[in-house]
Amino acid sequence: MIIVLAASALIGLLRPGLGASHHAHRTRAAASLLALPASPPPALKIGPPAQLSSGRYLSRWTIVRRPTVALAEPRPNATVVAALATRAPEGTPNALTVLRAKTGEDGALWIEVRLPVLPNGSVGWVRRRSLGAYQTVDTRLIVDREALRATLYRNSRVIFTAPVAVGTASWPTPSGEFTIRSELTRYASPFYGPVAFGTTARSAVLTDWPDGGFVGIHGTNEPQLVPGHASHGCIRLRNSDILRLAELLPVGTPLTIR
Amino acid sequence: MDGSPSFDRFLAAVDRDGAIAETRTRAEASLSRRRLLGLALVGAGASLIGSSRARAARGLAASDVSILNYALVLEYLQASFYTEAERSGALSGKTAEAARVVGATERAHVEAFRELLKSQAVKRPTFDFQGATEQQQPFLKTAVAFEDLAVAAYKGQAPKLQSNAVLAAAVGIHSVEARHAAWMRELFGITPAVHAFDKPASRASVTEIVASTHFIVAKPQLTKRRRPKYTG
Repeated sequence: MIIVLAASALIGLLRPGLGASHHAHRTRAAASLLALPASPPPALKIGPPAQLSSGRYLSRWTIVRRPTVALAEPRPNATVVAALATRAPEGTPNALTVLRAKTGEDGALWIEVRLPVLPNGSVGWVRRRSLGAYQTVDTRLIVDREALRATLYRNSRVIFTAPVAVGTASWPTPSGEFTIRSELTRYASPFYGPVAFGTTARSAVLTDWPDGGFVGIHGTNEPQLVPGHASHGCIRLRNSDILRLAELLPVGTPLTIR
Repeated sequence: MDGSPSFDRFLAAVDRDGAIAETRTRAEASLSRRRLLGLALVGAGASLIGSSRARAARGLAASDVSILNYALVLEYLQASFYTEAERSGALSGKTAEAARVVGATERAHVEAFRELLKSQAVKRPTFDFQGATEQQQPFLKTAVAFEDLAVAAYKGQAPKLQSNAVLAAAVGIHSVEARHAAWMRELFGITPAVHAFDKPASRASVTEIVASTHFIVAKPQLTKRRRPKYTG
């Protein structure tokens, strides 16, 4: 409005051929406009639109919000691959890596997720409504069973690397793509060290192990065995290394064991 | 924080994991520490301390900080929604382009609020959009609702702002949100501008609407105190 009034006044001032009284009136009008207080500068400095990064190294995870089943295909009558509880054996929410989404023939939204079941590497389709919020991470953890080393990347940059002990020939550490799904702390067990991460990887041998034989990444009270082939399938780090890793590794990070 | 009943209801509705309350408690504790420090340094400077308690980030009135945090939660909601939609890759054509452009703007709003509020900014809640970001029509329907809500919410708070500088910023954001609303309405196939006058929305009504979506959820607690039972 102010701009319109000012423009009108200025146009009036510039129009030729009018008398002196008109000129004086217009001058007073322009002066009154100029006397208006200036607008205060905005309190917020809003920067340019913030474009997203490429997301090349991002991965998504979610939790099971209600008990459900994972199916082989994104349709209601497909083969059941696994039953999914809302809680992992550790008692934490059942976290799963999200792979992709698809609208089924029934019009429902289906999500393909990595499953914490044998055989390792299983995936399945779950209705979106049974899952929770999506979370993203820009980290990925790679455990190399030949090099006996764990390496954590953030985007493409190495932010942690340390020697590890993995399973023996009788109780091998499984290979494949998994998820870091929990972090256990403040327990009293020197055997597992100060921190233990739960994964969705399962021993194919120790299937009757308590809680189902899941593979953990944890500390140890036998640091002299790291690096080496010494465990029942778990990935052991020296305690100083697992504590350092705990500062950097968010739950939900994809895990590759190769 | 103004501690008004309506804002408390809003917090209760949106702050299921306690993130906002935690920040609020921390901010209040910080103010208390500063107050104690002030007492130690100036002795009888209680009136000055009382004045500092009433003022917040960059000399803003506590009620303005409260309104800014309320707006920040709405900006978080929108920015997270568009970010998730863009990341999902499920949108196409003009809708995908709109999500990209509007999302970038909403993220800029979030950063501006956080920069102004600094340690008094509420934390980003956890959002579960329940698939609304992954299919075109649910996305547009939700985007229209969010943008219309934001426009009405800004309109509802603008007259209550004490700082003209904050008001100037709010008016600048309000018109951008109105453009977003018109854009999303057009894409959704409904008339962008129907009425000659838009009604404001109160905090209470915005609170109810946001709560009814169940889009704000508790953050999963994936760290636990428990002895492992892994294979070892």
